[in-house]
Formats: sequence, structure tokens, C-alpha cells
Amino acid sequence: MRALNKNTVWGYLFASPWIVGFLLFGLYPILVSFWYSLCQYDVLRIPQYIGLRNYRELLFEDHYFYTAVWNTLFYTLVRTPLVIVGSLLLAMLVSKAVRGVRLFRTIYFIPSIISGVILSVLWMWLLNPEYGLINSTLQFFGLQGPLWLIDPRWSKPAIILMSVWSLGGGRMLVFLAAIQNVPKHFYEAVEMDGGGWWARFRHVTLPFISPVLFLWFIFEIIGSLQVFVEAYVMTKGGPLNSTLFYNLYLYNKAFDDFDMGYASALAWLLFILAGIITLIQFRVSRKWVYYSGGVGK
Amino acid sequence: MMRIRAIKIAAFLIALVLLALLLWPALEKSSNRREVRYWFVAGVKDNIPPCVQLFNAAQESIRVVSTPIPWNEHEKKVLTAILSGDPPDVVNLVTPVPKWAARKALVALDPAITRDHFDTTRFFPSLWQEMSYRGRTYALPAYTGSYALFYNRRLLREAGLDPDRPPANWQEIQDYSRRLTRRENGRIVRMGFIPQYGTIETPLIIAFEQGARFIDPAGTRVHLTTPEVVSALQWERDFFDLYTVEEVSAFMGGFGYGNQQGFIAEKVALFINDNSFIDQIARYHPELDYGVAMIPAWGEGPSVSSAGSWWLAIPRGAKNREDAWTFMKFVVSRETQLAESMSRDETLFPVNRFAANDSAFLGMHRYMAIFSRQMEQTRSKSIVPLVHDIFWREFSLARERSLRGVMSPEQALGQAERTIQAFLDRALEYDRYVDARMETTGF
Repeated sequence: MRALNKNTVWGYLFASPWIVGFLLFGLYPILVSFWYSLCQYDVLRIPQYIGLRNYRELLFEDHYFYTAVWNTLFYTLVRTPLVIVGSLLLAMLVSKAVRGVRLFRTIYFIPSIISGVILSVLWMWLLNPEYGLINSTLQFFGLQGPLWLIDPRWSKPAIILMSVWSLGGGRMLVFLAAIQNVPKHFYEAVEMDGGGWWARFRHVTLPFISPVLFLWFIFEIIGSLQVFVEAYVMTKGGPLNSTLFYNLYLYNKAFDDFDMGYASALAWLLFILAGIITLIQFRVSRKWVYYSGGVGK
Repeated sequence: MMRIRAIKIAAFLIALVLLALLLWPALEKSSNRREVRYWFVAGVKDNIPPCVQLFNAAQESIRVVSTPIPWNEHEKKVLTAILSGDPPDVVNLVTPVPKWAARKALVALDPAITRDHFDTTRFFPSLWQEMSYRGRTYALPAYTGSYALFYNRRLLREAGLDPDRPPANWQEIQDYSRRLTRRENGRIVRMGFIPQYGTIETPLIIAFEQGARFIDPAGTRVHLTTPEVVSALQWERDFFDLYTVEEVSAFMGGFGYGNQQGFIAEKVALFINDNSFIDQIARYHPELDYGVAMIPAWGEGPSVSSAGSWWLAIPRGAKNREDAWTFMKFVVSRETQLAESMSRDETLFPVNRFAANDSAFLGMHRYMAIFSRQMEQTRSKSIVPLVHDIFWREFSLARERSLRGVMSPEQALGQAERTIQAFLDRALEYDRYVDARMETTGF
């Protein structure tokens, strides 16, 4: 009994750097940010308690809030399926044992090792309407390319395009691993029953990799809701606020305006939004995710 | 056995080295001069600024230790330093003084100014006005840039215009620009003037020239829908009658830095920029045939420019205030200002009028006198200090909306006015709350 206690103490002691770190730099800021969301607070001066006013102003008076929510939802809803489907297709392609497939895997993976800021600067040049590689290529085929980041109608698609390109390879690798884990005898069974490639994909591959797909759907959606670097580096939210994403607005409020109370309220609303979306996904997932080891929870 | 001994000796040596490294800064510092810690925003080069070198050479009892902080995060760095309770003794910043002063981040300097009979008329008036908030002074201007109109003489000649007669007002800017702009296969390859290009806000200047005030004297009500501001946005819209915003933006997308800069690459013939642009032209296109003129006027009115300055202040909680103040006074003296301005790769413009009109400074370049004259006619960009960033975001958005035809200038400005006012009301309310509960730090 004593030995057990001693062990427990030692255990906590060894875990203490993490526990202290979490309490100090994780839990405390989270709790405090909730308190500040009920205040006017600019970091340098004492907070003023104002109840739910930040939330009320955000939801009922601040039209940028809805612009930011719309931009972010658009980005999330268009980008997530594109990234998932795109990288799944890539994974299927490179899962074939063809000559030189390793080279292709490497090539597709390379973009995902570049950091966000560098990627954004690179794409600013690729998307340059006058000199950019994309529009020059389109022009070669006689097509007039759009103005991308300069045109409010094309700025979001441009950023989505870039993110699909850069993330596809990394996700491809995850799906590739999942696909290669599918037991081969199931495919044989389908073939014996006379099923083609679609049947193999629909009835074997897809169910087996559905837990991985589900996980990445959640990751992608949460990641998309947090989109920031691209807009911060490339557009600063313009043109006409068409790329004013939620976190960029939050950043402006917190670090340009020093309006930490308002920014904290924004953060909590995003947390609630992300929570609701994830909850819905979990509910829906019961209908399509298959766990080979039994029902997953 | 031998191995364990070797390890022990190695460990001992490593410990010794670490100890020496830890103690080194303390040993190095142990001179008997009092220290002033100075933070300044620096680019890539982290050298010691000339003013610090000069000060340390001239002083026996005080030593300034300067630390460069990167531009990207400089506001946050200073903010956290103040919060930590152990900030530097002097900071060098560029965002509006009232933005910091209103947040009680700076020490008021008035007692020291009065005590030392410190002459404040040495500063250009608009720069000096920016240093105070609610009747108290919080900073000294350190250096600035003076803006004027650069014009390409070769292109003017080529377009059949007199190269010795640059445009003098905004109407002429439109006329000149029309004649200077060239298209090839329908695409713009050169423009006379671009209101969006450069760091100066063209409509702001036009509004200033008409006497726009933007805010009431008490600083509580924003006025954006006045005839002066509306006509400024209207001017910009009229300018775009001949071009679309998209094609001009696409054209500007090809501009870069250095020899890719629009004016230096001769893709833009008229361009407003500050005096350091002279040095850039000299470096990247020395044979460019250009001239410098006063900023265009609104009709027959005065030529007005906008300027802000880098400034020095003592942050709340700073320990060595007296020596910090001595250093600040040294930086803004005529001699230091001259030496500092002239020793840089890109000329800084002195905030001290005597330095700016000194023959040594004016002799640096044949156009320097124009920049000095323009500097007397400037207005501050710090218009609604309490919500400075919101004001600029909204003003830019209103410009964009008006230009792209999403809204009329009145509508766009009206919407900006309402948003700025809403946030200003919030800020004022918070200000009143804090004022009743928190003291401003005196010198």
C-alpha cells in the first residue's frame, strides 16, 4: 500500500512539468479569456466588467462578424471535401505498384513540408494576374485567367486552391497507409463475386478506411475554421473583406486594436461553433463510419 | 575506471564553461556608468544606431545599451515588457503616441520639459502635436520622412509635357496622368499616376488640403461625410473613369522592390514618396531623369502633406527616468539630428527644424529644400487615436467600396463613420471607467 502511494507520488512528480505547464499555460488562459470576454480590456489597463455586451454587439451589431463567419464557412465547406477527395484520389493512384510510384509519392508530398508563410508568398507570385505562372499557363491555352487575389469573387477560391495543393500530399500519405492496411482477402472475395473496381472501392476500401476519413474530416474542418496565415500574409482580409476570415478578424481586434475583451468573446464563439460542428459530425458518423473491431465510440 | 574519470573531468569542464558563460554578461557590464536601456525597432541590420554611439562617446556617467526589436512584433514586445513591470528605460516607436498614452503606457514628460526649459518649438508643429494626449506630453519626435511629388522628366517630355513644369494641383494630376498613361494591346503598360500606389493616402491629402478635420475638437464625434472628405473620394473615383480598379491592380501586381519599384522602373511617371526615395533611386536607377515638386494642391489652396514620426518615450515602470530623459534630449538636439540623418544609407528626415534647414543637410541633395518646405505644411495621420487602426481599416474599406462602385462615396463614408463611431464610443466609455480608477504615471 505504501509502495503504491510512493509510486503514485513519483508518478505525479514526473508528470508535474506537464501538469504545471497545462494549468499555467493551458487551463488558466482559457478560464481567464472567458472572464475577459465579459469585459472591456486592453491589456495595459484594468478590465471593466460589461456583462454579455461583447457577445450582444458581436451577434447583433457587428456586420464584420457575419462577414467573417460567412467567409470562414465558405472556406471550410468548399475546402474540406476538396482536400479529402483530392488526397484520397491521389492516395488511390499512388497505392498501385507501378514503376516510379515512390518518386510520385515524394513529389506529391513535398508541398506539405513548406511552411505557411513561405507558401503564401510563393503563391502570391503564382497567382499574380500579370506575371503569375497560373495565368501565363492559362493564356498559353488561349484562356483569360481571373484576377485571383485582386478580385473579391476569386480571392477565396484562390486561397482554397493553394491550400488543397499544399495539403493534398500530406493527407495522401495518411490515406495511403489506411488503404494499404485493408486486408487483401476482401478484395479477392469481391472479385470472386464478379465485382469491378467500383465495387471494390465502395464495399471494401471505403468502409475500411472510413474511421481514418472521419478523423480527417474533423481535423480538416477544425483546421479550416482556424484559417489565418494565408489571409494575413496574402490579402490582409481584402479585397472588400472577401478574405476577412474569422481568426484574422480576431487577430485584428486583439493585436491591432488591443481590444482583448472583444477578441476573447470572438474566440469563445468560434469554440462554440467548432463544438457544434464536431458534435453534428459525430452524430452523422454513426451512419457511415465502420469500425472493424466493433462499434467505436 | 579510466573512462569514468574522463567523463567526470569532461563534466567538470563543461560546468566550468557554462558558469563562465552565465557570469560573462555580468562581468562585462560592471562599468561604473549608469545604464539606460533603449529599445528601437530595427530592420535586418542590428547595428547600434548613430545617436547611441554619439551619446556613449560624449558621456562619462551614463551608458545607453540599445536593443533592436523586430518590426513585425514590436508593439507586442513593448506591451509585454511594460506588463512585466521591467520595461526598457526608453522606447522608440512609430504608432500614434495617444494609442499608448491613452492606455497609460507612457510616462508624462511635462514636469521635465518645464523644469529644463526645454524648447519645443524646435520640432515641426504637426510632429509635436502628435506627442500629446489630453493636454499632456508623452514623447519626443525622433526622426521622420518628408513626402513630396516625384516626377519622371523623361516621360513628361516624351508625352509632350514641359519637364520643368510638374503638375501643381490635383486637376493637373488627372490631365497629366491621362497623357502619360500608355496601353499596349488593351493592357496598361504605363500609368501617369496611381492614387493607390505608395504609402501616402491620396484622398486623405486632398481632404486635408480642403481643411477636413475628421473629428470634433473634443475627440468624441467622427465626421467622415463632410464635403471635404466626400469630394476627396469623388476625385479618386473620377480619376478611375478611364481605368478599372481591376486592371490597375493587376498592373500594380507587377511592381516590386528595388529596380522593380514602379517609379524606378519607369512604369509610373508621377509618384508621392518620402525623401529617402532619393537614395533608392540613386542606388537602383542612378541615371533616372527625375524632379521633385511640392505635393499637388486642391485648386488654388495650399499644398499639404501628411507625416508621422518615430518617437522616443519612457514606458510606465521604467527605472532610470532621469538618464532616459537626458538621452532623449540628446537625440533631438540639432547636432545629433544632423549627424544621425546624414550617416544612414537612407536619409532620415530630422524632426528638428534647425537641423532640417541647416545648410549641411540641405546640401545633401538639390531637392532637399523642397522636402524641408513641405514638412512645414503637414498634418498628422493620427486622426482618431483611440481607435486608430479601426479608423484606417474603415477608411481604406470606404475607398475600396467607392472605387469599385459598390457604394457611392457618401454611402461608403457614412458606413465607415458609423462603425468608427460605435467603436470610439466603446473606447471612450472604457476610458472614463479607467480614468476614475487608475493614475497616469508622472515623471
